[in-house]
Amino acid sequence: MSVLAPIICDNGTGFSKIGFAGNSDPSFVYPTAIAVRGSASQASRAPAVPAKPGHLASKRGVEDLDFFIGDEALANAKTPGYGVHYPIRHGMIENWDHMERYWEQTIFKYLRAEPEDHYFLLTEPPLNPPENREQTAEIFFESFNIKGLYIGVQAVLALAASWTSNRVSDRTLTGTVIDSGDGVTHVIPCAEGYVIGSAIKHIPIAGRDISQFVLNLMRERGEMAQVPPEDQLKVAGKVKENYSYVCQDIVREFRKYDEEPLKYFERYDGEHSVTKRKYSVDVGYERFLAPEIFFNPEIYSSDFLTPLPEIVDDVIQSSPIDVRRGLYKNIVLSGGSTMFQHFGQRLKRDLKQLVDRRLDASQTASGSVLKSSGVDVDVISHKRQRYAVWFGGSLLASLPEFYTSCHTKAQYDEIGPSICRRYQIFGSAT
Amino acid sequence: MILLEAHNVIIHTTLHEKLVKPSSLDVQFVDFDGVRFRLSTPEKDKKNILLLSMHIRCWDELVKYGALNVLQREYGALLLPNSEPEYNVSLQLDLEQAPADQESREAFVMSLALFKRNALAAPFESAFQAQKRLEGGSQLGDLMAIHYRDEEAIYVQAGSDRVTVIFSTIFQDETDRIFGKVFLQEFVDARRQPSIQNAPQVLYSSRDPPLEIRHVPGLRNSEEIGYVTFVIFPRHFNNPAIAAATVSHIQSFRDYLHYHIKCSKAYMHSRMRHRVAEFQKVLNRAKTEQPTAERKTVTGRTVVSR
Repeated sequence: MSVLAPIICDNGTGFSKIGFAGNSDPSFVYPTAIAVRGSASQASRAPAVPAKPGHLASKRGVEDLDFFIGDEALANAKTPGYGVHYPIRHGMIENWDHMERYWEQTIFKYLRAEPEDHYFLLTEPPLNPPENREQTAEIFFESFNIKGLYIGVQAVLALAASWTSNRVSDRTLTGTVIDSGDGVTHVIPCAEGYVIGSAIKHIPIAGRDISQFVLNLMRERGEMAQVPPEDQLKVAGKVKENYSYVCQDIVREFRKYDEEPLKYFERYDGEHSVTKRKYSVDVGYERFLAPEIFFNPEIYSSDFLTPLPEIVDDVIQSSPIDVRRGLYKNIVLSGGSTMFQHFGQRLKRDLKQLVDRRLDASQTASGSVLKSSGVDVDVISHKRQRYAVWFGGSLLASLPEFYTSCHTKAQYDEIGPSICRRYQIFGSAT
Repeated sequence: MILLEAHNVIIHTTLHEKLVKPSSLDVQFVDFDGVRFRLSTPEKDKKNILLLSMHIRCWDELVKYGALNVLQREYGALLLPNSEPEYNVSLQLDLEQAPADQESREAFVMSLALFKRNALAAPFESAFQAQKRLEGGSQLGDLMAIHYRDEEAIYVQAGSDRVTVIFSTIFQDETDRIFGKVFLQEFVDARRQPSIQNAPQVLYSSRDPPLEIRHVPGLRNSEEIGYVTFVIFPRHFNNPAIAAATVSHIQSFRDYLHYHIKCSKAYMHSRMRHRVAEFQKVLNRAKTEQPTAERKTVTGRTVVSR
């Protein structure tokens, strides 16, 4: 009886994306936050102990059920007695007590699914220690008695999500994933479904930094003067999401804006959340300067100066030589901060220049004897980029092979949590 | 969260979203007990027309007990005569005709989110009515069986002064069975407290089915099955508001039970993790200290550990 769709659960550092396989968008996207009794500073308090004698119900209260998750948790952040915790740090689960209860409420309150009837697909960050996979399996098989579990690597799922793009002809799991969320940007090379761990690079520039940069620019120009201070970062975020794009040439773009400001400057209208006073700000150069910090980081930060195309090139160059062609040919974008218009085109152009320059140099070094046939560079952007990891999971879990690649409850009972150390890829044509 | 909510959160949030900004949509999702939903916009250019379909395992039985009448009463013209293929029942709604003011709009969305609850309410409501008819007599009403899961069923029977609801439930896991036993015994014990004397009476038996349904053919008689009997008296359904609450609570009982078994396990696990951390501290204390005496070579040079 496998008519019920598998549940896809992508728990990220900031947000959890949760839904059923076969859909194109997650049913729920909410912060990975849990508000429990007790202050936020006391991270590891002992759970409540039964104090009074008598039968069970009077011995122990229901303190362990008194918590909120997601948006409700943040709404209750200021309620006296509650503290908000983020059980996932840097993509990895840190507090298993909180995470177990977080899943409990996710399944029963939001998804309203009986876990005993469903298969689950969970995601993990690259370089996740196998102990964490075992812990996760223990919780899902022993607490929730689920039918089967598959733990997929986020980068691989993002590659699978790119199969929907009409520019992708073969279902390959070889490629470079650029995953940019709110906190950090990862560049992850994958060869045939396996992550090349030694070549992964992280960039400390992501969504939060872009918002901050927009805010700085607008403050310098004096636009933010009429915006209430508590709303400024939010306005900057909105400007980033709604008006920003990647330009191909900064100088030309500046000239364009100066010649016809009326055509290119936009207005953002807002309202003060308490006093209902209306305000509006001009949106100008930050439209194209915001995502520029990926390509020219020196305009924003002084300690990180390598542009994104160079990092991608480094990552591919430090991967095994036999997969490099595949990695250049299939560069996949994932995460909200890669959603800027023309982001892919710009990255492709810059990367192509780097590669061609190197090829030329080696050609001259060989005295024009050895000629390269050239390297294809292609950056794939597609419609499902924002929740690419979740969507890739949804896509893979709706394949019939999914059920055979899952670890089932029977296998778990037979062998134990160590079965989850084995990671099986499936679904690719190669 | 102690009680499970009766409404479906996905229907609730999606409809609220679409009322603000209609767009094309096609989502499939589930509810407890293997109920499948599909919410879609069937025509591409008409984004305000939504189709909500439900597949429910025991639909034929529910129709027999009057589910169509209940749905007709709740949804009126929204109910389509023919359902979408692969589903049992469909509602069609026009977002533009949804009530405009905040309160009635919330009530409209809520009533749609209670789709499954309303469909399952039919046998209970008909049992409540049957009890009214039988009052004063001594015969029993028909035994209504609702096979809401593959191997589990709810039996509802009206008597002259009561309605009896019997749940059969299966614990797939051995640990769950023990938790379930303790949990259900707690129900029986808690009933003895003076403060909840008005609650329905709860009886629990494992293995052997209760007398009321012993004649039903095909009952399994194995270790992992348990039976819970609720005796509902007229005071629990005389008032329409109380009756509605009774129906909502009792039909989610099975999920409530399994939810709490899982919560108890999570609680146990957190106690275990805490205890392991404590033991680890004790073990660390027992570690013998490394002798820190300076080690020298024959020539008098010291060995530095890096």
